[in-house]
Amino acid sequence: MTPILEVCDLKKIYRGSSKPAVNRISFSMSAGEMINVIGPSGAGKSTLLRCINRLTEPSSGRVLIEGEEITGVPAAKVRALRRRVGMVFQHYNLVNRLTVMQNVMHGRLGYMNAFNGALGLYSEEDKQRALEILEQTGLSEFLYHRAGELSGGQKQRVGVVRALMQQPSILLCDEPIASLDPASAQVVMEMIRDVSVRRGIACITNLHQVDVAMRYADRIIGMNGGEIIYDGPVAGLTERMIERIYGKPMSQLMIGGDVSA
Amino acid sequence: MIKGEAGARISVGVRGAGTRANPGAGPMAGAGTGAGAGLGVRNGKIPVGDAGRDLPLHLFLSLSVVLTTASTLLLDLDWGRILDRIPRLGSVFRDMLRFSPERFSLTLLTLAETVTVSILALIYGMMIGLVLGALAADNLTPWKPLSLALKSVFAFIRAVPTPVWVLLVLASMGFGMASGVVGLGFHAAAFFGKVFAQLFEEVPEETVEAVSSAGASRIQIFFNAVLPASLSGILAWTALRFETNYVEAAILGMVGAGGVGYTILAAMSSYKFGRAGLAVLVVFVFALAIELLTTYIKRKVKI
Repeated sequence: MTPILEVCDLKKIYRGSSKPAVNRISFSMSAGEMINVIGPSGAGKSTLLRCINRLTEPSSGRVLIEGEEITGVPAAKVRALRRRVGMVFQHYNLVNRLTVMQNVMHGRLGYMNAFNGALGLYSEEDKQRALEILEQTGLSEFLYHRAGELSGGQKQRVGVVRALMQQPSILLCDEPIASLDPASAQVVMEMIRDVSVRRGIACITNLHQVDVAMRYADRIIGMNGGEIIYDGPVAGLTERMIERIYGKPMSQLMIGGDVSA
Repeated sequence: MIKGEAGARISVGVRGAGTRANPGAGPMAGAGTGAGAGLGVRNGKIPVGDAGRDLPLHLFLSLSVVLTTASTLLLDLDWGRILDRIPRLGSVFRDMLRFSPERFSLTLLTLAETVTVSILALIYGMMIGLVLGALAADNLTPWKPLSLALKSVFAFIRAVPTPVWVLLVLASMGFGMASGVVGLGFHAAAFFGKVFAQLFEEVPEETVEAVSSAGASRIQIFFNAVLPASLSGILAWTALRFETNYVEAAILGMVGAGGVGYTILAAMSSYKFGRAGLAVLVVFVFALAIELLTTYIKRKVKI
């Protein structure tokens, strides 16, 4: 069985920087797997995620989406492959002036021709599906609210629904809960886990909180200095390993929380 | 009481400064009255402003004086004659206030022409400006040199006054309102191209990124993310440009592009000041109405 996502020897050096932001990154993912990526700020977690759908252009290495290479192919092919890769952002990145429904429908743009897409002429089936997902995620009362009026947690749920509208096989979540209060963060994390378990979508999520990462993952990737230090099951992530990933003793990492909890 | 205290403190400061400025008196005397008091003292006085920060203002004021003097000398204005003729200005103004309803229907007809010209030039200019603005915006342009070239063209067109463009169009298309629409629309297109490009560039990169990560093409990104995000700005600038277009269109009549401007010019040159006065009043009332309307719309319609 071909893996859903395959990353081979990925490297990214930003212009004007001598040190690579990510280096020697290789891993693969299968359907429905949930990977959480942890590591200190500047470890290259965001760069890694953004290289997967080429929002950031990798310097070298290959990325394969369901066996098809996205690196080194022309823009039209990149757009076609991006449809299979949903993305959730730290700052939600919704168009605040538009309604929840309009924002959610943006997930379909990749499947439409330029004319229909430009005028927002979505098919009734697509709209029906949007209504279903919005209902399942408890957002049906906000259909025609402007996205800008929602709370942070609601915005992020809309962000996840938008990504789901792409019918992706992979979901990239770049710090999805970093701007949320603990209660909303939990709702969003549970939603992402649900996406991976119930819909069989491979989810890869960057997180700052080690405890959250361990609670919601099948597998943890620990990064430091642009390289993968740990790649394995949650159970294998010892305190010593966490200290290696963050380069700091455990006592400085936890703020009133226990890792094993 | 408080006032007195403040005064006392200042005088201490000045005295401290005095001793500092005069080394012979012994530097320790000044320090004794408080190091803080002598901190910013210059020439025995405590400055309130920041001389360095005020420098541009002083430069600007001095430059104004120099330029005014130079221009007056250069133009060789005959102030005696000017002062002599000022009373005549008053009499012309009085004549204009004696409104005459003579050929008032023509005034209204030509005013309607002017309004039509300004609206058509606004719509054409806006449509062209939207396309060119999208091509010129840094975050949307398909080719960077094109963006730079378009921005330079906008700057050039805007630097040349509208009446000059209209005269150029008149020379090729002949007299009439069509020339007014083309000349004014040309200028408006450059204006909209510039401001729309700026509005599009202000749309956060993240918003664009989110839609493009769903596989959207450039045109889809423009219509679904960039355009909605900048809509309120587009409306505000369009309302402003409508006012400008109207005023410009009124002036354009005087260079031969028809409209109410020509009516005013014709009346003035045949010394029918009363007729001209009424036409000017009508132009003014309509301009005021436009302004009130756009303000009302901007306030009511929260986009």
